[in-house]
Amino acid sequence: MSAIGAKPAAGAAVDTPSMIIGIIIMLVVIAATYFLFGSGLAFMALIGVIVGGILIGFGVHFVPVGGAPAAMGQAPGIATGVAMLGAGAGLAGLFGGAWAAELGVVVATITGAIGGGLLMAITCMFVNFIYVFGMGIPAASGKVAKDPITGDTQTEFKSQGTEGHGLPFVSYVGGVVGGLFGGAGGTLVYMSLLDVYKDGLPAVLGATMSAEVVPIAVTLAGMFAIGIFLVNAVLAAYNITGTIEGPHDPKFKRFPRSIVGSATASAICGIVAIMIVAL
Amino acid sequence: MSIKVEKIEGGVPNSTIMAAGLIASLVCVYLTYANVLTGTQFFSFFGGLATVAALVWGSNTIKHLCSYGIGTGVPSAGMIAFGSGVIAMLFATKFGIAAPIVAVILAAVIGVIIGFVSNNVINMRIPVMIQSLTEMAIIGALTMMGYAAMMTGSFTLQSLSTGSMVFLGLSLPSYQISFLGGGLVAAAFMLGAIAIQHPFNACLGPNWTQDRMLMLGAECGFLSMIVAAVMSLPLISMSAALVSLIVALAGWFYTYTKYIELARRDAFDWVDAKPIPEVEGH
Repeated sequence: MSAIGAKPAAGAAVDTPSMIIGIIIMLVVIAATYFLFGSGLAFMALIGVIVGGILIGFGVHFVPVGGAPAAMGQAPGIATGVAMLGAGAGLAGLFGGAWAAELGVVVATITGAIGGGLLMAITCMFVNFIYVFGMGIPAASGKVAKDPITGDTQTEFKSQGTEGHGLPFVSYVGGVVGGLFGGAGGTLVYMSLLDVYKDGLPAVLGATMSAEVVPIAVTLAGMFAIGIFLVNAVLAAYNITGTIEGPHDPKFKRFPRSIVGSATASAICGIVAIMIVAL
Repeated sequence: MSIKVEKIEGGVPNSTIMAAGLIASLVCVYLTYANVLTGTQFFSFFGGLATVAALVWGSNTIKHLCSYGIGTGVPSAGMIAFGSGVIAMLFATKFGIAAPIVAVILAAVIGVIIGFVSNNVINMRIPVMIQSLTEMAIIGALTMMGYAAMMTGSFTLQSLSTGSMVFLGLSLPSYQISFLGGGLVAAAFMLGAIAIQHPFNACLGPNWTQDRMLMLGAECGFLSMIVAAVMSLPLISMSAALVSLIVALAGWFYTYTKYIELARRDAFDWVDAKPIPEVEGH
């Protein structure tokens, strides 16, 4: 926003009353779904959407996001924003999982996780290629003295005046794990909604054959999944206020707030998505 | 505890732009209902004008929110706007003629809850957070509604999901050739999401001026409307799509010229340099 680089001081504090209100909103939505539509497909779909949303929100915390400082080699991570990276990993996973939709929820979710993880693995590898061979900077973390996985020391490779640079091994692993979570979450949301729409849309649209509505069911489930995905990814981005190095970053400890937030937001988005056929 | 980095000095206050944008885009979406009343499709272009009004309002709301330095970049605000807006819009299409009003109310409810989550649960503590995210969700819903009305000539679930296919001279109903079944909704989503975040992202800085940013917002809106008019060709009659295209092209040309004028006004100097000077003797 300005040259002085002022960051919002959201801090790591937890606002307990607000967290409780958030959980209450989520429970009210779950209870409302149960009493309106019973314990059938719609209720299971809402649970699937909430679990998927939590997976997305949690997964974003693993992804090493560097933002503009990383583009200048002054901070570790991938040089773009959380929303872009999260959306990229989740949508790649969603598209991967959608191919396997006929094989059941478990296979599709795992396929989605692999799709998201693969996208992050390729992204992280080429980011490091460009950092090392293009910009000529080594990978060094600024937040820890030793890499928690390999045990390599970091400080002697870190340039003065920077917060570290490049993509250390732990950040790479974090990126892949984040992609796995994001892809699995996005696919779970998609699969949960797809089952409800395939079941309920023929009655809503007055179609004679249930196979006719498959294009509409796929698009509706896909659009709602993208919407819920972006909401959760941006909420997680707000939680980490922009940049994070990976699972070893102190900001990672803020994830409980994000889980409550994602669950609340997914619940309210999920019930609206389900009501389009169930109401 | 957040630090307000930039102040809004002068210009039209956000509440005025909000009222004008909300009324203008709602009225424009409802004007597409003239299609049903007159039995033609020539009024579809009002849907595009609704998106322009909503996007101009949205660029000012993004300025309002992002001047607090949310730390995640301006595009994320556009993404959350359309992510929450599209959910409200798709559900609201079930309600027939009341769809735009239902979309606004439902988007406001979703926006308030998402605003509460980001302001209190995630503890952002930004004074305008709840109001801004509510506005953004409404803008996202109205923009998607506008694109739907422009591309199909209507905004009900039935007409968004059912198109017609000509097979051996017969016109058959088809779910695949439609706004939803054909996946045009995904393209409309990105057209809006990019158009809403670009104006402030491009104009921010010490010499930010409101009229220049809003003019760029209108320009981005018309640019997206050109693409939407091309995408409406398979769904509505050729003449109606051409009307939309001509309106979009005219609007884009006017706003682009005005924007270049305002950019020259705000620039320190304008030297009209040539990229490669011609050298004698070649």
